[in-house]
Amino acid sequence: MKIAVLIAPAVHPVSGRPCAGEADLAALALAQRLSSQVDVWYAGAADDAALADYLARGATHIHTLALAAGREVLSPLAEALQDYALVLCGARAGGGDGSGLLPYQLAEQLGRALLPDVLDLSKSDQQWQALQALPKGVRRTLAAKLPLVASVHARAASAVGWSYARLQQGKIQRKAATGAALPQVVLEPARRARALVAASKVSGHARMQGAIAGGEGKSAGIVVKQGDSVEKAQVVLDYLRQHQLVDF
Amino acid sequence: MSFSLAHALTGLFWLGALLLLGGLARRASLWQQGRSASVSWLGLLAMPKRYFVDIHHVVAREPAVARAHVAAAGGGVAILLLSALNYGLMLYQGWLDVLLVLMAVVMLLGARMMQARRLQAPPRLSQGRWQVLPARLRLFALGSLLAAGLLFAGPQLGLAGQLIAVVALLMLALGGAELALGIGLGWPMKHAVAGLLHLAFHPRVERFAGKSSDLKPLNLAAGELGVAKVEDFAWNRLLSFDACVQCGKCEAACPAYAAGQPLNPKKLIQDMVAAQSRGTDPAYAGNPHPGREATVVVKPGEDIVGSVLAAETLWSCTTCRACVENCPMLIEHVDTVVNLRRHVTLSRGEVPGKGSEALANLRNTDTVGGYPLAVRYHWAIDLDLPLLQPGEHTEWLLLAGEGAFDMRYQRALRALVKVLKAAGVNVAVLGAAERDCGDVARRLGDEAGFQRLAQANIATLAQYRFAHIVTPDPHVFHCLANEYPALGGQFDVWHHSKLLEHLLARRAIPLKADATPLPPLTFHDPCYLGRYNDGFNAPRNVLKGIGIKVVDMQRSGRDARCCGWGGGAAFTDIPGQRRIPDMRMDDIRETGTGRVAVACPNCTAMLEGVVGERADVIELAELVVERLA
Ligand code: SF4
Ligand code: SF4
Repeated sequence: MKIAVLIAPAVHPVSGRPCAGEADLAALALAQRLSSQVDVWYAGAADDAALADYLARGATHIHTLALAAGREVLSPLAEALQDYALVLCGARAGGGDGSGLLPYQLAEQLGRALLPDVLDLSKSDQQWQALQALPKGVRRTLAAKLPLVASVHARAASAVGWSYARLQQGKIQRKAATGAALPQVVLEPARRARALVAASKVSGHARMQGAIAGGEGKSAGIVVKQGDSVEKAQVVLDYLRQHQLVDF
Repeated sequence: MSFSLAHALTGLFWLGALLLLGGLARRASLWQQGRSASVSWLGLLAMPKRYFVDIHHVVAREPAVARAHVAAAGGGVAILLLSALNYGLMLYQGWLDVLLVLMAVVMLLGARMMQARRLQAPPRLSQGRWQVLPARLRLFALGSLLAAGLLFAGPQLGLAGQLIAVVALLMLALGGAELALGIGLGWPMKHAVAGLLHLAFHPRVERFAGKSSDLKPLNLAAGELGVAKVEDFAWNRLLSFDACVQCGKCEAACPAYAAGQPLNPKKLIQDMVAAQSRGTDPAYAGNPHPGREATVVVKPGEDIVGSVLAAETLWSCTTCRACVENCPMLIEHVDTVVNLRRHVTLSRGEVPGKGSEALANLRNTDTVGGYPLAVRYHWAIDLDLPLLQPGEHTEWLLLAGEGAFDMRYQRALRALVKVLKAAGVNVAVLGAAERDCGDVARRLGDEAGFQRLAQANIATLAQYRFAHIVTPDPHVFHCLANEYPALGGQFDVWHHSKLLEHLLARRAIPLKADATPLPPLTFHDPCYLGRYNDGFNAPRNVLKGIGIKVVDMQRSGRDARCCGWGGGAAFTDIPGQRRIPDMRMDDIRETGTGRVAVACPNCTAMLEGVVGERADVIELAELVVERLA
């Protein structure tokens, strides 16, 4: 199965240099786990050097739709990606002007479903399953149907390590493309954030007591004082499993 | 009778010589698997000097063993030469037989001493064929003694003489087999032939002309990416592995081995031997890499790392050079470790632990820790430290290195600047223009990253005018002084210990007059200042100059134990039984001084990172600043 992966240079938070984005690397890794036919696509104005990290991290061949700066990447991408049953991209670009909207717009343009924040995809009995990341470490499994656009969560398993040899061997193929002008960006002042109101006003110590002190239905916490370390660890493990915080 | 014995000896001599040559041809075909290397045949002429001077420097540290070797090897070589004359060339001279008898006695004594040592062999020595070698040598010496003695005084002995002759011939054949077959079959005496050729064609031939501890650059443009398979080693590197006598001195000196990390440098070299001989040599009979099996499975054609050698073994090395320093056969372990790492890093991109993060930081920010370059000199904001502008001139350019981002080490840097200012030294810094020197990148095998950083630094430094560079970081010092020249950067680089020594000697640093005696302390030699650059005296002279007595640890100077940071080992962090800095802290505790002076930002961090009760760790400059008037 041919899979398309979308990548874009990230901006390094310290130096501002272009580098690979974590979510895009995770998308690349997921695609390579699923298939040996992975096409890597980039649309935009960045030069080849900005994409070098992706070559070094395992993208053997990058198709670049070269656009002038300030042009919209959506329609040229949609055109190029029509024939792929599965399109993977990072949930959002690593810094820069990325809005995080591209996966949604692309899915809309291609007329497909979007599966956001995927950690893993697998296929069993002709049925696709996706593991999705939700806030606070919660995971859930979804059934999925191709064709599909999936955005990959930055915490999913990353691509192979950076290698100079791969960088040397990797190829970037540029094709000129045209896109509409980006809509004018309108800057407006941030709305005043609502001040956080504490749910209860008791002290931290008192809340801790409330959480751990047993009895009278006052608390959901358990204090384990009996048993050896294995038994105590078992209680913690049970708790984590119950709340789906670990999956083994 | 004596006539026929002499002919038998002639036959035996030539048989042995033929076997030896055949064996050498076989071994040479193994070395030929390697890449070509530019070597000079003149090395053969230099061999005696290298043998008697350079090897002597190493073996003289263990005089008893050296004496035994001189007797056994000297006697043995003399016997072979005399036999070549007398029997090989069929001169059959009585006086040569007398000399033969004398030499046989010498060899006998040497072999006897070796055998005695083998009775209580230290665990670092290999067993197996090595354990029985002295007995075989004795057999050979005794056979020579009997045969030559018989030939000299023989005719009168009659039947007894014939019996003795047969026994002598048997002894010579058995003992001589050890000498003649060693090189071909990979038995212990292989070391004699390979060792001598190794001296002639040493892969780091500069070391015979002076200090040589720099890593050699890869020609990246030509596609050199380190060593993946046996064929990627230079042929003389393969030869060097065959010189190993399995004495285990490297093993005894290795901090990673002592910490129970899966690295035994002796075994590492033997793994390379197994790889190149495709496992046809006798099985290894020494200590394994800690926690690993001793047996290796050689799969011809496969990469070395992952088949004969586990990646963890490679990443345990701190590149401290203790093994190289101690090896009597002048084998260069660190070159091999780094050559293999280069393949794993450059081709596979498989750097473990925080190593890959450090390399990514270097790529993205030009610092190991991922810091903004602009904050490197924030600690000096109130010290009125001039920022050198392109075109301006300063006498001393200070490169603070990565330690400048560490709040603990900033205290040491401030102390250094204060001392230099008090001494009236004209010093300036580069500020945000200073990048990492590339030390960590290079030792982690990222030669491409190192060359990028080095070239960028060389280009930057070319824009400024300064007479000398001073740095408190021995890694920066080593890179700039020894490794940048190969890339076209020639600078006059000083470690701060040297500059402080120089200033103290010239009484340029105003010291307090009241000489309240200071408590003694011990000094921890940084590998990259000490073993890498022979900078043993400068820091000690500084301490002496400010009136502090140094109580040296048992392992100090040339034998100092690494703090565990070097070679990126603090980043790859391969687990062992203990941590190397904990062991070093034990060494420090043994001195009973409760304080240790250091001269490197990384030693500072490693030793201060020791948990529990520990000695105070004080930087050289901090000690000097306390004594400022
Ligand atoms: S490598 Fe050198 S020090 Fe180590 S065992 Fe071999 S000869 Fe001895
Ligand atoms: S350089 Fe140091 S850590 Fe590495 S093998 Fe040699 S002695 Fe061991």
